[in-house]
Amino acid sequence: MQSKSMHRLGKFSLTLAFVCLYVSGEAKSISDSGNTLVTKHKVEQSFAVRSLKETLQELRNIYGIQFSYASNVASDLPLQVPENLTGATQVEQLLKRILTPSGLKFKKVNNVYIISKDEKTIPVKAVGYQVPAAASNLENTSRVADITVTGRVTDENGEGLPGVTILLKGTAVGTATDFSGNYSLNVPDGAGTLVVSFIGYQTQEVAINNQTSLNITLSPDAKALAEVVVIGYGTQEKKDITGSVAVVDAEAFENRPNNMVANLIQGQAAGVQVQSTSGKPSAGLSIRIRGTNSINSSSEPLYVVDGVPTTDTRSLNPADIESISVLKDASSAAIYGAQGANGVVLITTKRGKEGKPRFDFSTYRGFSTVWNTLPVLNAEQYRDLMTELGYNTNWSQYTENTDWQKEVFQKGTSQNYQLSFSGKNNGTSYYVSGGWVQQEGAVRSAEMDRYSFKVNLDQEVNKWLKLGTSIGVTRYHDVDVTDNTNVNSGGVILGVLTTPPVIGIYNADGTTFTSNPFQNWENPISSTDAADRGYRNNRIIGNLYGEVEFLPGLKFRSNFGLDSNSDIYDYFLDPYSTSYGRAMMGIGRNTTNYNTYFIWDNTVSYNKEIGKHNFSALVGTIAQKWRWESAGVETRSFISDAITTPNAGSQLITATASKSEKTNASAIGRITYDFADKYLLTANFRADASSNFGPGKRWGYFPSFSAGWRVSEESFLSGLPVINDLKLRAGWGIVGNDQIGNYAYFGTVSSGANYPIGGAAQPGSYPASIQNNDLKWEESEQTNVGLDISVLNSRITFTADAYLKNTRDLLLNAPLPRSTGYDNAVQNVGQLQNKGLEFQLTTRNFVNDFKWDTDLNISFNRNKVVDIVGQELYYANVSSRGEVSLVREGLPLGTFYGYTWGGVDPETGMGYYVDRNGESTFTPTAEDRTIIGNANPDFIYGITNNLSYKNFGLNIFLQGSQGNDVFNATRIETEGMTDPKNQSIAVLNRWRAVGDITDIPKAVVGSTANSLTSTRFIEDGSYLRAKAITLSYNLPATLLSKVRANNLRLYVTGENLFTITKYSGFDPEVNAYGSSNTTQGIDFGTYPQTRNLIFGLNLSF
Amino acid sequence: MKTKRLIIYSLGFSVALGLSSCEDFLDLEPISQETSDTAYQTASQIEGALTGTYESFQSSQYYAWDFVVYQDIRSDNAYAGGDNAEIFTADKLTVTTTDTRVYSAWSSIYNAILKANTVLEKAPLVTDVSLTEERRAQILGEAAFLRAYHYFTLVKLFGGVPLILEPTSSTDPAETDVPRNTEEEVYAQIIADLEYALDNRLPDSYGSDASVNKARATKGAANALLAAVYAQMPNRDYNKVLQYADAVINSPAGYTLLTNYDYLFDGNHYNNSESIMEVQYLGGNEGSWAPQMHLPPSLSGDTWRKFTTPSHDLANAFDAEEDAVRKNATIFWEEAPWADEYWGNAVGSEIPFAYKWRNAMGWASTDRPYIFRLGDIILLKAEALNELNRITEAATEVNKIRLRVNLDGITATSQEQMRGVILKERRLELALEGRRWDDLVRYGQAIEVMNSLNEVDLRTGTATNYNATQADLLLPIPQQEINRNPTLTQNPL
Repeated sequence: MQSKSMHRLGKFSLTLAFVCLYVSGEAKSISDSGNTLVTKHKVEQSFAVRSLKETLQELRNIYGIQFSYASNVASDLPLQVPENLTGATQVEQLLKRILTPSGLKFKKVNNVYIISKDEKTIPVKAVGYQVPAAASNLENTSRVADITVTGRVTDENGEGLPGVTILLKGTAVGTATDFSGNYSLNVPDGAGTLVVSFIGYQTQEVAINNQTSLNITLSPDAKALAEVVVIGYGTQEKKDITGSVAVVDAEAFENRPNNMVANLIQGQAAGVQVQSTSGKPSAGLSIRIRGTNSINSSSEPLYVVDGVPTTDTRSLNPADIESISVLKDASSAAIYGAQGANGVVLITTKRGKEGKPRFDFSTYRGFSTVWNTLPVLNAEQYRDLMTELGYNTNWSQYTENTDWQKEVFQKGTSQNYQLSFSGKNNGTSYYVSGGWVQQEGAVRSAEMDRYSFKVNLDQEVNKWLKLGTSIGVTRYHDVDVTDNTNVNSGGVILGVLTTPPVIGIYNADGTTFTSNPFQNWENPISSTDAADRGYRNNRIIGNLYGEVEFLPGLKFRSNFGLDSNSDIYDYFLDPYSTSYGRAMMGIGRNTTNYNTYFIWDNTVSYNKEIGKHNFSALVGTIAQKWRWESAGVETRSFISDAITTPNAGSQLITATASKSEKTNASAIGRITYDFADKYLLTANFRADASSNFGPGKRWGYFPSFSAGWRVSEESFLSGLPVINDLKLRAGWGIVGNDQIGNYAYFGTVSSGANYPIGGAAQPGSYPASIQNNDLKWEESEQTNVGLDISVLNSRITFTADAYLKNTRDLLLNAPLPRSTGYDNAVQNVGQLQNKGLEFQLTTRNFVNDFKWDTDLNISFNRNKVVDIVGQELYYANVSSRGEVSLVREGLPLGTFYGYTWGGVDPETGMGYYVDRNGESTFTPTAEDRTIIGNANPDFIYGITNNLSYKNFGLNIFLQGSQGNDVFNATRIETEGMTDPKNQSIAVLNRWRAVGDITDIPKAVVGSTANSLTSTRFIEDGSYLRAKAITLSYNLPATLLSKVRANNLRLYVTGENLFTITKYSGFDPEVNAYGSSNTTQGIDFGTYPQTRNLIFGLNLSF
Repeated sequence: MKTKRLIIYSLGFSVALGLSSCEDFLDLEPISQETSDTAYQTASQIEGALTGTYESFQSSQYYAWDFVVYQDIRSDNAYAGGDNAEIFTADKLTVTTTDTRVYSAWSSIYNAILKANTVLEKAPLVTDVSLTEERRAQILGEAAFLRAYHYFTLVKLFGGVPLILEPTSSTDPAETDVPRNTEEEVYAQIIADLEYALDNRLPDSYGSDASVNKARATKGAANALLAAVYAQMPNRDYNKVLQYADAVINSPAGYTLLTNYDYLFDGNHYNNSESIMEVQYLGGNEGSWAPQMHLPPSLSGDTWRKFTTPSHDLANAFDAEEDAVRKNATIFWEEAPWADEYWGNAVGSEIPFAYKWRNAMGWASTDRPYIFRLGDIILLKAEALNELNRITEAATEVNKIRLRVNLDGITATSQEQMRGVILKERRLELALEGRRWDDLVRYGQAIEVMNSLNEVDLRTGTATNYNATQADLLLPIPQQEINRNPTLTQNPL
């Protein structure tokens, strides 16, 4: 009995050894390829005796591998270990050699090396396992056990998982699986629940239900693994980040097709507003990170593609992107100092991963339509209106009935093909891809296509030198459609609304375009079809880096990046089909730009861990230079349309070429420190010089500090297992902005003011700007506090951030009185404020066969112009009725300004307005204009639901904006009734006779009195739209193995399937003024967002 | 390990090298522009600055053709056409304070003044020996003339305006926000500038090349401007008008009336002997787009409705005088593919077109506006003589103008009657050349003439009511400018 119980005790102790706390090594790896970086190193041959723990810690430090082992196995087991662990070619071989003699073995599970006792081998040296203090208690409870549950714990592939902890819920009774994943546990009765947990896997609870045999399958928990985030000049573990960084990884955007980088971010990250200013295939997207930071200087963020900064991302292929980090606050962006004021978007492209070569092929085909049409007057209604306006013609000549929306809006198509292969061997990792995307827009003639090639290579030359390169080559092409202007200026979208139905497309001659019966506004097809036009861009963006490791932890990295692109815009208007073309006898234009940019940065970084103190430092220098060159030629007078290049025109109108440059030089530094993963500190410093400022004001200094406290690591919270992670963050910093135009401080004198004297043009000059030696950096001081919390086995994670940004010394292109002869001058005046709240909530609602994840983010930003030295700035003169956008102290950018609409006087039919004294008037004066709206949303949000069941997946991405006004200037054109344009059916309600009660005034030719810029055209632009819904199916493994494929996914995506909005125009997601800081939310015949249906296939083998 | 050391040393070296050249790296000068420190050092540079000043006659929309809008369309000579709402408001005397054309005129004319101010400031500082003192004086005279000309335009459009006589060098509101000067002060400055220009600075001519002499400011141009200024300013001095008009007429430059009136506009007689100064266009990239705005489809090559339509009242004025020569030189008739609310409210009606520019040339015409021509000055002289009660002599001058267009001479009866004759003669002689509104204002007849017009809008069948008041004599100060410079006061509205 005694011996039996002793035996039992001994056996129990052995089992218990595995139950003890698993010490998890700290992951330094970037991805699951991290540990493979070193697999081919050479093993050095001299050996020493060291403890297992020490050895594993060193391996972890050197190779960034993660280990998991029972603490008692580890602590003082002496091993024969090579003197120098660095340079091992095969980490696994090395491990085997070290562990086997001690009767240990390892298994690599989900990127973690699990060290355990090898039952099959006899240890060379006996190991004295120590029974942990808790064991005696456990023994007591285990004595009352009366049933034994046995079984096997396996991973998702059915392989046994060793070292899995199995606890009886609510007790200390527990065990761990053996090397094959088998376990056996004595429990008091069959009513309890087993809690099965293992690092890297989602914890499961299984009711025993009187069963004695329970097999359990664990599913991997990607999120629980140390998530590594790309930050400026380095990477950091997510748990250590103290600034505000949003990460959008491939997982979030692989589910749906995308053509543009900005699409990947839209609705995915709190605090990031992606404004699609138009639905054109060629449309760039405008991104605002935490509001608009400047008035005249750019407010677009900086993009950094594999270390090469850029502003134009249209030529990047989203399929090549591995992850995107958005650095939102000053403490994370300050390392980019000069260029970081508007936030930084770090784009990391894919690199080869360990394993056999992998091929990925993806393709899709899509169809797009304008989802909304606006009803306009038919032929009869148009004639009535014209007659009422006093326009008279021989109506019998105008018998057509053309639906211009039908003629111009078409079924757009898109297709995309993408092939890549990647892999890694012998220290070389490679990723090579090629892609082609082609789109025809939903508006006639709009198109876009892009070829892209990408090569990423990394080579470990030897144990201390690593070299690599990333090269992307693209050819981008688009054909634009003129929008955001009225039909008078060739605006196509307003053209389809205001061109009367009574005319056909061509005149009787069959070659010339028709025009309005009363005014020679040619029909919109003339704008889409008459001119041959196109933009082509060829671009090479890439870098070359070398990394030298002097000592463990001390690295020097030199990176040379290049962005070289050339673009050509061609335009040819034939000499016969349009009135303008006939007058000019044809126009040929060719404009070319050649832009080069280089960056050379050199950094030294050092990491050191002393006990619980972790320390890293980075210092470096950066030099950047931009050079822009452009040339243009225009000729007129062509014989025919046979030759479309300017060489065939006889009359030279323009021939010009010019160049400019900008340079920046910078020094950067960063220190991070953490104590026991609990207290985290980061300090950044960047000194930045810009050639845009004069010698005395050239340098700007941009410090930042941030701190984090991982409360969950504190002992007082360790008793709360419900909280997996809780971190408080706070940061402060200053970032700068110099994006105000090259040579900004100079008083420049431009040429080209040539004038003929003596029968030939003489060269003339003119003063172009005022010298300003005091011009200096615009500074944005930002404070951020945040909270990250993860609870219930990381089923719920929540991030909240609050920020305050004060931008001061605004680089304001401040208007000057025109009596000075200048329009404006760049000055450092004024202050702008953005403050806001951001929340991001991720929940894993179901985690078994049926999986459902939800990601919700919502952002509130408040923008305010604090100080512009009392000036008032006016922008956006729409439809020649005065400016609609006002910049005034105390108000946000994007404030609408105009008259207050009163209504329609039943007696006269004229619209009346409310003047500044609150009295109604038919003839308000400029002083009666007031604030009439605000284009800034109260909040923006995005909701992504990922559902899957077995091989089916459903991704629903909703996105919305709430509380923003839109100034619908389109309605000035379609409800103004001042000229012979066709109008919307709203005007059927117009006033016609005394006593008519209506809100549409009477038609008065040539008078804008009834259609002043007023509250009449302000609308609620709030919307919620199904941005993308994707249904996908992954072919089952059994079928895949027959075709030797790893993965085959079929999907269908619907974009903009529905939109909930009260907005009356084509689409609420518009801005006629693109990415303007001051003018937002104006719809003036903007190319609308389209509804797209896309069918796609992804295949990898 | 040797390679490692080598790499480290070379890296260290290149970093050090990079840092030492840092300031050079950052010290960039514009490549395709000059800077204010270096742009005015040589003789050719100051010539360039002066040429740039002349260029405002081309680049300013006002001088390109908007002077027709505010002189002829605004007055009784023409209606607005085209599709620009703001030109219609000019026609109907309902220009708003936020009108962008008015603002553009204000802005571009002040830009021309900045250029002139720059030349006046920089020319005395040029040390380049190749700049002769004679040429330096001419340059100063030309710039002073141009500044005077632009202030004359402004004061006629807006009344008293801010007098800015030096290039703005600071963005300090104390310097930039200049309040309005009075009309008298502006005129005084104009006269001072012109007297300065005539003080041994401007020559009668720059040699024998008419394409230089009609391009640049000359004594003749300065005298012509002074004659016009003394006639237009509130406290007129007709002795001075007479003095300066005579100075033009008797100029050694030898201005003579062309025998054939049509030659002035036919495009084959640029820089002719009647021209005192004209805006130089050569076509192509030195072409004028203005004629395209006026000419009918058969001449312009396009079918847009044109922006200037001569009025019934103007056509009637020619007919009443049986003045076929000038009528045919001023108006061209054609059946237009659009309806016109005054001439024929149906497509295909015959309507008149402005015809003093005749070559559209695809928006790049060689046709020129006259800044001054002798015919204008002779009539100014007649005006002065009449006001000085030398009525018979006045009639003699008028008859010089009438004679060449085959009209009978007139005989003077009374000063008052002669005033009417001269005003009418100016109208017929100078129609659509941008003189009419100023003439009506000068004669104190603008309000009466506009309100007694009987121009029937065929769409409504009623005569257009122009409702002219004293406030319509001047354009409003652009509200956009008042926003930028709050010290400005608005004209009566």
